[in-house]
Amino acid sequence: MATRHLIIGGGTAGINAIRTLREEESERSEITLVSAEKPYSRMVLPYYLDRSIAESHVYTATARVLADWGVKAHLGRRAAALDVKGNVCTLEDGTKVEYDDCLIATGSSPVKAPVPGADGRAVHSFWTLDEAQAVVAELTPGSHVVMVGAGFIAFTILNSILALGAKLTIVEVAPRILPRMIDDTGARLVEAWLKKHGVAIRTGVKLTKIADVKGRKQLKFASGADIVCDLVIMATGITTNLDWLKGSGVRVNHGVVVDDRQRSSVPNVYAAGDIAEGRDRVTGEPAVHAIEPTAQEHGRVAGANMAGKDVRYRGSLLINIVEVCHLDVASFGAWDDATAETATGLKADRPAYRKLLWRGDRLTGAIILGPSQDIWTTNDVGMLKGLVQSGVSLARWKAHLKKNPFDVKNAFIASKTTHTLLPETILGRPSKAPGDTPVAV
Amino acid sequence: MSVLKIYPEKCTGCLRCELACSYMQTGEFQPAKSVIRVSPFEGHTSYAPYTCTQCAEGWCMTACPVGAITIGAVGAKDVLDDTCVGCKLCTIACPYGTMFYDPDTRKAFKCNLCGGAPACAEACPTAAITYEDVATADWLGDFARERTARVLVGVS
Ligand SMILES: Cc1cc2nc3c(=O)[nH]c(=O)nc-3n(C[C@H](O)[C@H](O)[C@H](O)COP(=O)(O)OP(=O)(O)OC[C@H]3O[C@@H](n4cnc5c(N)ncnc54)[C@H](O)[C@@H]3O)c2cc1C
Ligand code: SF4
Ligand code: SF4
Repeated sequence: MATRHLIIGGGTAGINAIRTLREEESERSEITLVSAEKPYSRMVLPYYLDRSIAESHVYTATARVLADWGVKAHLGRRAAALDVKGNVCTLEDGTKVEYDDCLIATGSSPVKAPVPGADGRAVHSFWTLDEAQAVVAELTPGSHVVMVGAGFIAFTILNSILALGAKLTIVEVAPRILPRMIDDTGARLVEAWLKKHGVAIRTGVKLTKIADVKGRKQLKFASGADIVCDLVIMATGITTNLDWLKGSGVRVNHGVVVDDRQRSSVPNVYAAGDIAEGRDRVTGEPAVHAIEPTAQEHGRVAGANMAGKDVRYRGSLLINIVEVCHLDVASFGAWDDATAETATGLKADRPAYRKLLWRGDRLTGAIILGPSQDIWTTNDVGMLKGLVQSGVSLARWKAHLKKNPFDVKNAFIASKTTHTLLPETILGRPSKAPGDTPVAV
Repeated sequence: MSVLKIYPEKCTGCLRCELACSYMQTGEFQPAKSVIRVSPFEGHTSYAPYTCTQCAEGWCMTACPVGAITIGAVGAKDVLDDTCVGCKLCTIACPYGTMFYDPDTRKAFKCNLCGGAPACAEACPTAAITYEDVATADWLGDFARERTARVLVGVS
């Protein structure tokens, strides 16, 4: 009998697992997908918001494509419980799906600030396609938008809001913006840059209430003046979708704890993406990296192992980039490691900023900030990722970089980083192009 | 497959490859939009062109959330303009620093081997860039290590 694989969650991790299963399997298996939403990419929602792409562009696998791949799909339905002894997943509507092995890829959900009025009209999170559609419908040119929260996700939609001709105010409870993506110096530069581009920012303010006043929204704070606006977007954090696994026996910490094959504490149950707590490649410690590249790599590694291959994962690398008003802001690896050796470089006029972090002579983290039109920023962005990813010994280049943090290219090339990187692949073979997934015959 | 093989010791730093590349890729001579870049070493006493290795993983391709990077007929990873949303994920995923972003078109771009007739290799007067059926490799590492030794003198 064909092996029955069950994929729970059709986001980035789930769809990458399905594609890899089809690429790697030696015998045709049965694949069932259970997903609360249709498969789409959350991270392209900002481009749907600014109307540079149509809704159809966000989908990663349409019903037609799933049929081509031979996937039995239960879309719009939720898994409610997992019985790992009986190998059965129960859906919210009571349907039972049996499996030989399964992948948990249910991602995360947004959390709104717990204030009165947070569930009211014209107050939205921006995490799902449904929420994006609501914002698209309500955001009109000239309207005043308040973004609650100044983290990475807030910043990914900032350009789109401005491009639509809205007025934007950002309010953040922490004393500074982007607290989990860049350091204080970087945050100050970005804040000044945004203010210069007409974005109002209030940090260190605690939202206490959202009220309706004459058809508009009124935000009240623990201190300081109220803000009246037309639309509130809550980007106040996310939580891992672990609840439905309670009592299942699958070991859970901050996420589902997985080994280097993406296997959970239950041998035929895998986990991938935002929900999984796997190895951080730089620190070697378990971590939840709720980012797209981790979901993609986790998903492929899980898919290959479910297909019977023995693929070991070296761990995920924290990488983030966001462009705000033509300023690129990126960070890599252990950029906030307080005990690492560091070097910084600042060109306030451009503005351009670098922070490099070392353990021994290995680059373990970096922050880079620079104008988007500056082609050298783009080059260095990739090379810094390569230095952190490869962990090459920088030897005497370390001292050079400490003095010249903007001179990354020579250090990268002369440390033979390319030589170290070239043999590495995630699946132990060259990757296939996205359109090359084997289809059902 | 054939790849761009670089002979760094032959490069004189004339930058014709950058001009040819930008013309081929964009229809204009604008080296800022070339995807092959000549790097100076040792205070501009040596040069070498640097571009995408067409690496086996294709980190740019696997990272793209919308499948906008594919493998073309000659084996090069290539960006499909109509599909690219300009999210820049590929620019930080490529660990070689050879994915680019064009702020004018809001699309990513990269070396696509000009569909099998690379303009840079044709333009190079000293054959420092050739298009050969060899395995891709670190063409510049040893050269750069040697040519930068003096820069590092005095640095402990
Ligand atoms: C606006 C926005 C911008 C972003 N920008 C970036 C960026 O620039 N770079 C970056 O790296 N990351 C970015 N991200 C984060 C990135 O999208 C996520 O890390 C990624 O989607 C995680 O993939 P995943 O497969 O683990 O989870 P998801 O993509 O969230 O998929 C989870 C799937 O599981 C389904 N599901 C949930 N619960 C159940 C259940 N009980 N039963 C069945 N199905 C269920 C969901 O409906 C969904 O289909 C962004 C996210 C957003 C919202
Ligand atoms: S652009 Fe970078 S990741 Fe993509 S194929 Fe070239 S070297 Fe590999
Ligand atoms: S910039 Fe374009 S090609 Fe690059 S990852 Fe984003 S959508 Fe894909």
